[in-house]
Amino acid sequence: MTPLEFLSIAAAVFAILMCGTGLLRFNLFLYSLQTFSIALATIAQSQQAKEPELYFVAIAIIVVKALAVPYFLSWISNRIDARSDPGILIPIPITMHAAIVLLGISYPLAKSLPHILWLSDSTVGATVAISLLFTGTLFMLTRRNALSQIIGFLTLENGIYLVAVTCTRGMPFIFEMGSLLDVLVAVMIAGLFVFRIKKSFEHIDVTQLDGLKES
Amino acid sequence: MNFTEILCFIVLFLVLPILISGFIRNLKARLQNRIGSPLLQPLYNLYKLLQKSETISQDASPLFRIVPALNFSIMLILAVLVPWLPFHFSLPGSEIFLVLYLFAAMRFFSIIAALDTGSPFSAFGASREATLSALTEPAIILSLVALGIAYRTSDLNEIFSFSQSHGLMQVSIWLLSGAGLFLASLVELSRMPIDDPTTHLELTMVHEAMVIENSGPNLALIELAYNLRLVVYYGLSAQCFMHALAVLFTIDHATYVLLSILAIFILAFLTAAIESFAVKLAWRNNPEFIAYALTMSLLASLAAIFQSAFASLSLGNLGAFL
Repeated sequence: MTPLEFLSIAAAVFAILMCGTGLLRFNLFLYSLQTFSIALATIAQSQQAKEPELYFVAIAIIVVKALAVPYFLSWISNRIDARSDPGILIPIPITMHAAIVLLGISYPLAKSLPHILWLSDSTVGATVAISLLFTGTLFMLTRRNALSQIIGFLTLENGIYLVAVTCTRGMPFIFEMGSLLDVLVAVMIAGLFVFRIKKSFEHIDVTQLDGLKES
Repeated sequence: MNFTEILCFIVLFLVLPILISGFIRNLKARLQNRIGSPLLQPLYNLYKLLQKSETISQDASPLFRIVPALNFSIMLILAVLVPWLPFHFSLPGSEIFLVLYLFAAMRFFSIIAALDTGSPFSAFGASREATLSALTEPAIILSLVALGIAYRTSDLNEIFSFSQSHGLMQVSIWLLSGAGLFLASLVELSRMPIDDPTTHLELTMVHEAMVIENSGPNLALIELAYNLRLVVYYGLSAQCFMHALAVLFTIDHATYVLLSILAIFILAFLTAAIESFAVKLAWRNNPEFIAYALTMSLLASLAAIFQSAFASLSLGNLGAFL
């Protein structure tokens, strides 16, 4: 087991733990830890694959996704006074255990992916990446709060990024930076939307947004 | 196990239970800007309790008097069987399931004794304890069984011995099991996020409510057994963390022993910090906290299963096998 695999497994564990609580601040803290370990995994991969520009990508990830985005989202949650999420569909602790089952399922799925990287075996990285996709989707499905939807989406995005890092030699530098900027802008716009939704509906419960509002 | 190690074991066995619970109390007081009781206060309390006479409910059967002594003797056996210190007796019978069910037997007897007095209050405590132990037991079982799967034995002494293969997978199994055990032991020992050991408000008490009818020497035995249980649980999770450390760095034996004792103190420090900074959870929210302990142990078992699958099957077979 290489450091890369260890760090990506740590990211999967943090993502699973994130599913287990309804407190938004704690969710954001665990999301930040998860992104941080993904950034460290990027550094490990840059040493393994001898791709020095991945260092800069890792630093940018730490600054943007692990620090700025959670800070911004927690500022929003303070501003609109949304601190916790009651959950929907299945109880919150069960969500966490379901995410563990999905981590188990993602192993055979990752096995069936072709090996793109010829340097080393990328099964564990791909397992974690697929499990992050599952966990993010599960998180989005089982939460009511619009802010939780953003966190789930960001977890999903982390999964896609981890596929790119572990299964290939890393994307070209300019692509990574571009997608990072996209994430930042997406979070900003989503944050603004949450503000607007809160202003016009006086709640941010996504399950009630499909009804028409009279006035 | 040579003579010095036996001597060390006996000294630590006698000193640590008193010292750790005194340490937690003192540290909590310090964190709240009080001077606090001296480190040996639990010992003075025991001495005082032993001097006192005993009051027993008229409805209580002889069982009520036997149970504290019974629990204390089970705890003594467990302290020898469980490898909570880096050196341990290689006795036969340190099987995972024997140890787990001896702990369960202690809980069973204390619940029976609490129900025996006929006091509705201790019956409350007993029913709460029964609920909590039903929720925590899977976490403790799974985190020990994960280690058992990883090392292919159910003998705790063999699992916690040093002649083991090394790898980062082992580190994750040890860390996850240790975290699971620590979280579960907070519940099991009725420490803060679940139960406040210092409160005397009826609505919040679990362990304190169960022993409310006991007094004098009987209470002294219960306290002593509790302190010993605390050290055994913390020692076990500290050993898990120490094994993770020993996989990463090579540590010689004397340093290892010192570090293990330090690790127990660090866990006690964590407990005191949690009890000072966190609030007690509402009873409805307890399952959410316990779910975290269970998650840690489930992840440890998943890692252990993967590891043993890697060892026994070739990678190609595994996809088909799953």
